[in-house]
Amino acid sequence: MSVAGVGEAALDWVWAHRDGFALGDDALAADGQVNRTWKPLGELTRVCASVSLCTPPTDALHARASDLLDFAWQQTHRGELFGLMQSLEPFATYPLEVYAAFASAGFRHPGYEASAAVVARTRGWRLTEQYPTRRLGVLEAERHSGIQPHAPVPQALEGTWLGGLPEPWTFERSAGYALTHVVFHLTDWGRAPRGVPSGLADYLLHWLPPWLDTCLDARMWDLSCELLAVAASLPRPPEPSVLDDAWRRLATAQDSSGAVPEEGSAQDAAGPDAGPDPYAFTDCYHSTLMAVFAASLTTARPRHADRAEHAEHTEHADDAAQHAGQGAPG
Amino acid sequence: MEQSSTSALLQGTVLDLASDVVSALRSGDHVRAGSTLTGGGAGEGVARAAVRVLGADALLPSVLLRVPPDPGQLAVFKDAVAAHPPRDDAAPAVVWSHWAMARTLRRVEHPLTGPDAAEPAAEPGAAWLDEAGWQTLTHQLAVLAPLALPGEECAVTRAARRRPVDVARGFVRAVRRRDWQQAAGAGRWLTLLDGVPDTLGLAAGLDFVRLMGGSDPRVALQLEAARLMPAAVLL
Repeated sequence: MSVAGVGEAALDWVWAHRDGFALGDDALAADGQVNRTWKPLGELTRVCASVSLCTPPTDALHARASDLLDFAWQQTHRGELFGLMQSLEPFATYPLEVYAAFASAGFRHPGYEASAAVVARTRGWRLTEQYPTRRLGVLEAERHSGIQPHAPVPQALEGTWLGGLPEPWTFERSAGYALTHVVFHLTDWGRAPRGVPSGLADYLLHWLPPWLDTCLDARMWDLSCELLAVAASLPRPPEPSVLDDAWRRLATAQDSSGAVPEEGSAQDAAGPDAGPDPYAFTDCYHSTLMAVFAASLTTARPRHADRAEHAEHTEHADDAAQHAGQGAPG
Repeated sequence: MEQSSTSALLQGTVLDLASDVVSALRSGDHVRAGSTLTGGGAGEGVARAAVRVLGADALLPSVLLRVPPDPGQLAVFKDAVAAHPPRDDAAPAVVWSHWAMARTLRRVEHPLTGPDAAEPAAEPGAAWLDEAGWQTLTHQLAVLAPLALPGEECAVTRAARRRPVDVARGFVRAVRRRDWQQAAGAGRWLTLLDGVPDTLGLAAGLDFVRLMGGSDPRVALQLEAARLMPAAVLL
């Protein structure tokens, strides 16, 4: 199956299962499980924002992604719930991180942005203890929400696994997830490949192939999709043979429903005759979203490459600034 | 039953022989090494077969350290080369392994006549490596690690020199797969190649492979070879 075919089938699954992303009553409960409520909704939004931006309006994927964005925004009561969330946990960063996904797609709530800015002015907000990778995400969220980022991106990048250019054979699952998100934040989720400093881009071009190969071998489909999205977010793509091989192997993991399971263990558990909908929502929603994300960035690449060449002459100033680590443009 | 005990005997002999080579490389003197081939412990046929498995590396101490081989060891090595010429339909790695053994034998027996006079039969082709993806390339080079020698000049070493990044990727893949023998073999090649990305961290990588897999003498052999590479001069 083609890359575009994998992406279309995966988005079909997402559309058919959109109710799984709906916010339930526990979304604002004091003991609510954010990872089962706001996180999937934010991820849906993030991916659909990217799809709608990297597909032309005439594309069927574009229309579907737009519909899903409307659906997701409705779930937040058109942004009203962000203020309520903030009142429950004023110094938690995740409401702003989820909100930023909407803001990046043009869905904004000025009232929430004003309240978030008040909190973000405190030393306490700036000193929130979190993983360096997450810190990059908060900086990106601030930028998308009209808040002055509280620290420079290069400084945050330095603290990450990827930013330190570690020996590539030390790659393991957790490092993999950290590094993919560093690239997502640096590139504004694939929109700004030039957000990756050139040394980092070279590093990734060298080592993505063995990481992809071994993750696919281990049937780590979710991380493989994320690595493919990284590959499609770099200023220069990896060799075509590397991508062709990876997509061919990933396509074998996709169920006829369009779902891509997180890991091989879910496939084993489902067995060979598992019926039309073999995986629980939690076992496949993220990997299926990541398949949509990676496929849309990969297929958009040729279209954008043309555009980038035209823009090349006017972007040298930006280029220098970004390679010096100024981060991705808005 | 008989077959499996023969294969267990062969495996054990290969490990003993690899241990001998490791000891010799560490001590710099074959006399202090073990005597798997000359002690009469293994049958003649098994000893020959074990030499075939290790290939030219069975004489690596003589090649890298310039110590003359034990006459008994040399005799078994010669027998192994003579008794098992590759068949016409043999895989390229088998053909090259034989070629490497023949070349090593000539070098050890005629150290003063120089490489030209020591040339064995016509060099096989290496097009299969140029056509291989980086995964297969690395696997095949690890199998042919006995050819990874300083100053060695043949189609396989030229193919390796053209693709340092691919071999480095293969090293990463082998470590991730916990295939320590392939990682050590690839690492040995990488010590000889220009253009390996610095970010690979080869020295730390070889230490890691030793830590995780160095108890296998076949792994240790490759790591000892890699350690001696920068200083070694080909016989």
